[in-house]
Amino acid sequence: MMYRAFGLNILSEIKLPPLLKTKANNPDITIKLKGVDKQGLAAPELIKPGGQTAPNEFWFHVPGIARFYITNGDSVHVDPEKGASEQSIRLYLLGTCIGALMHQRKRLVIHGNAVRIGNESVIFAGVSGNGKSTLAAALYQRGYQLLTDDLAVLDENCCVQPAYPQIKIWQDTADKLGIDTSQLQRIRLQIKKYAYPLESHQFCNAALPVKSIYILSTHNRETVDISPIVGMNKFVPLKNQTYRGGHLEGLGLKPQHLKHCAQLANRASVTKITRPKKACDIHQFVSLIEKELGKTERAA
Amino acid sequence: MSHQGNIYWLASYPKSGNTWVRAFISNLMRESSEPVDINALCTGPIASSREWINKALDFDINELSHDEIDQLRPEAYCWLSEQMNNPSYVKVHDGYTFLPKGRPLISQKASRGTLYIIRNPLDVAVSFAHHCDLSIDQTISNMADPQYCFADGTHKIYPQLRQKLLTWSEHVTSWLDRHTPPLLLVRYEDMKLNPLATFTKIARFLELPCEETAIENALTHCEIKNLQAQEQTKTFNEKPPRAKNFFRKGVVGDWQTALNEGQIRKIIFSHGKVMQRFGYIDEQNQPIIPFDYISARDKEALC
Repeated sequence: MMYRAFGLNILSEIKLPPLLKTKANNPDITIKLKGVDKQGLAAPELIKPGGQTAPNEFWFHVPGIARFYITNGDSVHVDPEKGASEQSIRLYLLGTCIGALMHQRKRLVIHGNAVRIGNESVIFAGVSGNGKSTLAAALYQRGYQLLTDDLAVLDENCCVQPAYPQIKIWQDTADKLGIDTSQLQRIRLQIKKYAYPLESHQFCNAALPVKSIYILSTHNRETVDISPIVGMNKFVPLKNQTYRGGHLEGLGLKPQHLKHCAQLANRASVTKITRPKKACDIHQFVSLIEKELGKTERAA
Repeated sequence: MSHQGNIYWLASYPKSGNTWVRAFISNLMRESSEPVDINALCTGPIASSREWINKALDFDINELSHDEIDQLRPEAYCWLSEQMNNPSYVKVHDGYTFLPKGRPLISQKASRGTLYIIRNPLDVAVSFAHHCDLSIDQTISNMADPQYCFADGTHKIYPQLRQKLLTWSEHVTSWLDRHTPPLLLVRYEDMKLNPLATFTKIARFLELPCEETAIENALTHCEIKNLQAQEQTKTFNEKPPRAKNFFRKGVVGDWQTALNEGQIRKIIFSHGKVMQRFGYIDEQNQPIIPFDYISARDKEALC
């Protein structure tokens, strides 16, 4: 089956239902069910527990799920373990594998989601658990169009490429936003996290240049702090938002990566948003974000 | 001693003086004339930090179950330990548990040694109740629950990984009886009532400077009143969101006024054996009150 996501045609032997299908017949990426070496790469440059990297090659093994071999920015081999669910394999294909493929294709990947604001995009980045997906879901509820959840892939023009019309939300987020999860599919049976399909008119299926990047974090105070980062100071926080930046060393892509970050820092505004660790009213928080985004036209 | 890894684990049940020890280590390492900022302690992250473990692995763990993540932790600790050039000090509240196939969660290969801090569970109950913003009764029952964990929900993502705390007694014995040495056991009460000798022992074990002046200086910087003063002027990042403050009283024997007779009996009923083993109750299951305790300890120190 051929799909289109992240600006590329993906031919996959494993079904990737949340992705939009395409009639195109020229794959940019091929995903195949194929044996993957149990030990790893022939000449790894970086060895981590469960993962090995070399220039243009990345191998990883998630126990109980599969071994994956990603090479040349265009090929993924998946070797599932006995009893592994297709759901679990899919999550790694659409997460770690896409991230590695994009790194190999020398794309900048920011760990965050992207929302359309006018004819530009805004990225909400930050480490997992800092509320990115909750914010994306809340903005979606308020009528915004989303481009991507979790992985913001940027092309050479600093445009965010649309991913696919689905976000993943934890039960906790659903509860806060009044979303009924009884009709939603769990992304894996082991956790209460759900696939939340986006209405087609609220999925922005066009690449949009990045206007701003917001870095979400939490603190032990009661206030929401919104502080712009300017000039040279933008660079490091931006670099730290790179999706699994650790890969880049073994891929030999560090200079390229730094260049991309500098390019992005030049183009986009960067703002740090720190909210209380203590559960705060999500609606109030989103209103504050809207005000911050704001005054700009709402994507219709 | 088999020094394989670089990580010294600072292991304890919560509210047993772990952060105090970290503040001491940080001050001792910096040897500064000013106290180290409580938000810039130079010990490593907590062993259960999701970000830290994630950094060691090359793939996402956020959609794995708690059990699946636990399987990855031993190798992650080994890798993290291999990246360190010097001994490093890592707080851990997990009980010492084994994964299926008998592998310890806290990898032996990553370990250089373990400092285990024990505190009278009567005092822990009072402090832990404040920490979690729970009633003392609820806290006492949590401390007796073998299934008790931190961050074990399946409905959201936590900044920390699941930590199996076990019961208070099991926590102590899991580390002391199952863990492979080198291990140094210290009592919070000794740290409090006989600080110089106890912290010198800690410093020596952890390969830190142990000259008297350096120890004294570090101890002054991390006296509870100084930690409290710092917390008053800035919030402590590690404070649980619902707790009023992190550095509350830091005293020995607070239980005498904070617990009622029933609560004391309940704790002794659940933990009597271990309390007796570590000198918190006598053979008649009567609490050893701090005053007697001081004299006993002081005598021992003099020997």
